[in-house]
Amino acid sequence: MFYWAAIIIILCAMLVLYRAIKGPIICDRVLAINAIGTKAVILIALSGYIFERPHFLDIALTYALINFIATIAFQKYREMGRLD
Amino acid sequence: MSEHIVIKRVSNFIIPFIQLFSLYVIAHGDISPGGGFQGGVIFGASIILYVIAFGMKDGRTRISEILTDFMNSIGVLLFAGIGLACVIMGGAYLEYTKLAGSAGEGHGSHAEHALHLAGHLGIYGIEIGIGIVVASVMITIFFETANTQDDD
Repeated sequence: MFYWAAIIIILCAMLVLYRAIKGPIICDRVLAINAIGTKAVILIALSGYIFERPHFLDIALTYALINFIATIAFQKYREMGRLD
Repeated sequence: MSEHIVIKRVSNFIIPFIQLFSLYVIAHGDISPGGGFQGGVIFGASIILYVIAFGMKDGRTRISEILTDFMNSIGVLLFAGIGLACVIMGGAYLEYTKLAGSAGEGHGSHAEHALHLAGHLGIYGIEIGIGIVVASVMITIFFETANTQDDD
């Protein structure tokens, strides 16, 4: 069951990747990259169950955190033209 | 400075948990994924989030330039100091079990326990040193690249 969930998540990430490549405006691309990051978090957690290594949840948590910071940094740079 | 109130509030709420998580990653480095480098990166990311949310000036009052320079040196010194302490105790560089000294000689459960403890404490010291230096180097790089005041 975890395998099928992982496959479906990967297919969803492909759909979002289409929007990231095609996206007419930059907000589409940022949101698409953010959604891909969220799917990667779930994928890491699922692979932790598939390979029976629950420590993968730590990695998923870290990935979610870095994703959050990257999105905020990018949006701030886009809105203000600087990071400080 | 016209940072948004939502980002400020969320960052204020989430930064202590990020730092706690980084300490967890450093402390559990020997039995789970992670270690000094990863924990240091997470800690540096929390400071970067603070600077992004509250601005450079506020960040520099919390984390001054002197403090990051000091931390850079302290981390490297901790690593090198533990390694050299192993050499002084008669082992190879970073051979932690030699840190037990005379308590680790001979046979029996006491000597074994001392060797085990010395190995674990040595690894913890190394990882804390690496975490300090990685966090402060990340903060330094971010401050230097994000600074738009002087472009020399």
